[in-house]
Amino acid sequence: MKKIVSFFKSFLLLELLKGMSVTGRYFFAPHITVQYPDEKTPQGFRFRGLHAQRRYENGEERCIGCKLCEAVCPALAIHIEVAEREDGTRRTTRYDIDLMKCIFCGFCEESCPVDAIVETRIYEYHGEKRGDLYYTKPMLLAVGDKYEEQIAKDRAADAKYR
Amino acid sequence: MTETLVFYLFAAMTVLAALRVITARNPVQAALFLVLAFCSMAGIWLLLEAEFLAMTLILVYVGAVMVLFLFVVMMLDIDLEQLREGFWRWFPFGILLAAVMVGEMFWVLGNRLTAESGLSTVVQHAADYSNTKELGRLIYTDYVYPFELAAVLLLIAIVAAIALTLRRRKGTKTQVVSQQIAVKREDRVRLVSMPAESKIGSAKKQER
Amino acid sequence: MMELLQTIEQTGQGLLGPLWLPLWTLIKIVVVVAPIMGSVAYLTLAERKILGFMQVRPGPNRVGYWGLLQPLADGIKLLLKEIIIPSSSNKFLFISAPVLALAPALAAWAVVPFGDGMQVSNLNAGLLYILAMTSLGVYGIIIAGWASNSKYAFLGALRSAAQIVSYELAMGFALVSVLLVAQSMNLGDIVRGQQGNYGLFGWYFIPLFPVFVVYFIAGVAETNRAPFDLAEDEATIVAGFHTEYSGMGFALFFLAEYANMILIAALASVMFLGGWLNPFHGWPVLGGLTDWVPGLLWMLGKMSVMLFLFLWFRATFPRYRYDQLMRLGWKVFIPLTLVWVVVIAAWMQTPFWLW
Repeated sequence: MKKIVSFFKSFLLLELLKGMSVTGRYFFAPHITVQYPDEKTPQGFRFRGLHAQRRYENGEERCIGCKLCEAVCPALAIHIEVAEREDGTRRTTRYDIDLMKCIFCGFCEESCPVDAIVETRIYEYHGEKRGDLYYTKPMLLAVGDKYEEQIAKDRAADAKYR
Repeated sequence: MTETLVFYLFAAMTVLAALRVITARNPVQAALFLVLAFCSMAGIWLLLEAEFLAMTLILVYVGAVMVLFLFVVMMLDIDLEQLREGFWRWFPFGILLAAVMVGEMFWVLGNRLTAESGLSTVVQHAADYSNTKELGRLIYTDYVYPFELAAVLLLIAIVAAIALTLRRRKGTKTQVVSQQIAVKREDRVRLVSMPAESKIGSAKKQER
Repeated sequence: MMELLQTIEQTGQGLLGPLWLPLWTLIKIVVVVAPIMGSVAYLTLAERKILGFMQVRPGPNRVGYWGLLQPLADGIKLLLKEIIIPSSSNKFLFISAPVLALAPALAAWAVVPFGDGMQVSNLNAGLLYILAMTSLGVYGIIIAGWASNSKYAFLGALRSAAQIVSYELAMGFALVSVLLVAQSMNLGDIVRGQQGNYGLFGWYFIPLFPVFVVYFIAGVAETNRAPFDLAEDEATIVAGFHTEYSGMGFALFFLAEYANMILIAALASVMFLGGWLNPFHGWPVLGGLTDWVPGLLWMLGKMSVMLFLFLWFRATFPRYRYDQLMRLGWKVFIPLTLVWVVVIAAWMQTPFWLW
C-alpha cells in the first residue's frame, strides 16, 4: 500500500514541486550580496592585511634585526640580513617579505619584541608585474609611515586583550 | 524551370554524396556523406510534394538511424590499411553483386521506364491537398494488412535483437535504479531533536 | 495590419516580378530571426539574473543599468577572442559543427506561428518539420565532439547523442497525441483547434496534461539543459562537446542551445497553451477586458512563462545520473506517452470529449 502511494506521489512530482517552491520563495528574498567597491564589509582592528614596518616617534626605525619573525614565518616569506650601523646599533640592511608566499598568519607580528613588523588593514593592493609583490624594507617602511595613525590606533585597541 | 534546376541540384548532390560514401577513406566522413545524401533525397521528395515522406526520411534516417551509426563508427578504432587490404581480391565479387542489383532494378522498373507515362510528369495538386492525409488513408485502408505485417515484423526484430544481446552474466554487480529513486528521506535519516546546550552541571557529569 | 502587408506584397510583386518571392521570404526570415537572436542574448541575462535572485544575490549588474548591457559585452568579448583550432582536429568539421548546431535551431522557427497567420511558412506537415529539424541539431554536437579529437569532447558528444535520440522518442509520442487531438499537423490549425468560448479551458494542456509535462521535461532534456545537462557536465567531462571551442565557435553553440530553448517554449505554448489565444476569451468580465491584447503578446507571454520554468528548473534541481536519465526516458516517459495516446484515442470516441 505504502509503495503504491509513493508510486503515485512520484508521478505527481510532489517532491520536485516542493523543491521548486523553495527556490521560488528565495527568488523574492532580499539579496545579501555586498556590492564590493561601493560597499565594504566592516573590519576588525585585528585585521591582517599588508605588512608595514613602524618607526618610533623620533623617526628611528623600530626593527632591531633579531630575526624572530624570519624564524617563526611558516611560509618562509621573510628574508633578513643584519649589520652594525655607524652608531653601533644592530640594524637590518635587508628586510624583504615575499607577499606571494605570505599566508597572513600574523606570527611575525606576534613574535616581534619591538612591534616593528605589523600587519595593517590594507587589503586592496596589487602588483602589475612579476616581483611587484616582493616588498623590500623601504617599501614596508613607506607603508608604515603612511598608515602609522591607523596602525597605532589598532594596536591601542588590541592592547587590553593582551 | 526553377523546379528542374532545383531537381538537378539535389540530384547532383545526392549522386556526389553517394559516391563519396563509398570512396571516403574515413568511415565517419562516409557516414556524414550518407547523411548528406539522405538530406538531398528528402529535398527531391519535397519537389514531388511528398512532404510527409521527406520529413520522415530526415526524422527517422538522419535524426535517429544515422546518429546511432555515427555513434558506433566514431567509437571504432579502425586501421585503414587493414581495411584496404582485401580490396582487389573481392573486387570481382563486388562488381558481380552490383551488376545483379542493377539488373534487378531494371527488371522491376524497366516497364515504367519504357512506358514514359508516369515518370516524367508530377501530378500537380491543389494547395489544400495533404500528402500526409492521403498516405494515412491508404495505409490504414487499402494496405492495412501489409502495413500491420510490416509492423509486426519490426516488433519481432526488436524482440529478437533484445533477446540476442541481453544475457545475464553471473557475478556482475548492478544498481537497481528504481529502488534507488524510491528511497525517501525517512528511510535513511532519523531526525532526533536534542537540546543544543546543556547545563554545566550535567556536562561535567558526562566528563567524569 | 493585414491590409498593409497585402499592399506591400502587391506593389513588390509589381515591381520585381519573380524576384519578389525570394526577397519577401528573406525579409520574413530576417523579421523572425533577428528578434530571436536578440531574445537569445537577453535570455542569457535573464538566466543569470533569475539564477542570481534564487541564490539570494543580484546577478550581473555592472554593465549598464541593472546589467542590461551585459549580453552585449559578452558578445563583443566572444567575437574578439581568438578561435583556437586543435592541431590534430578535423578542421573542416571542427569549424562547421557550430554552424550545424545553430542552423537547424533557427530553421525550425520557419513554421512557428506567432499570431494568426504570422509565420514564415504555413507548412501542412509543420509538426513533422519541427521534429525533423530538432533531430538534426544533434549533428552539430556529435561532429563537434568527434572533430575536436579530445576525450572529453567525445564523451560529451556520445552522451548527448544518446540522450537526444532517446528523448526525441518521448517527445515524438507526446506530439502524436497532440496531433491526434488537433487532427492536423499544421501548427496554425493546432492553435485554431484550441479556440473556443471558454478561454484557457479549451486548451489542450487539460486533456493532455501528462503529455504536456512529459513534453516539457523531454524538451529540457533535448536542449541539454539542467538537470539533464550531462553533455556539458563540468564535474566529470570539463565542458563536454564544446571543450575545445573558443570565441565565436563557442558562442554559436551557446546561441543554438538558447534558440532551442526558446523553440521548445514556443512549441509548448503553441501545442498545449493555445498559442496566440487569449486565456480569458469568453469569460464574463476578464474576457471583455483582455480581448484587445494582440495575439503576439499572449504568445510571447506564454513563451516567457515556459522559459522561466526552464531557468527555475536549473536553479532547483541537481544533475541527473546518466543511467537514471536513460531509465527516465525509456522506462517512464515512453510508456507513459504511449498509454496516454491510447487513452486519448479512446476518450475521443466517447461523448465525454469536450475539446
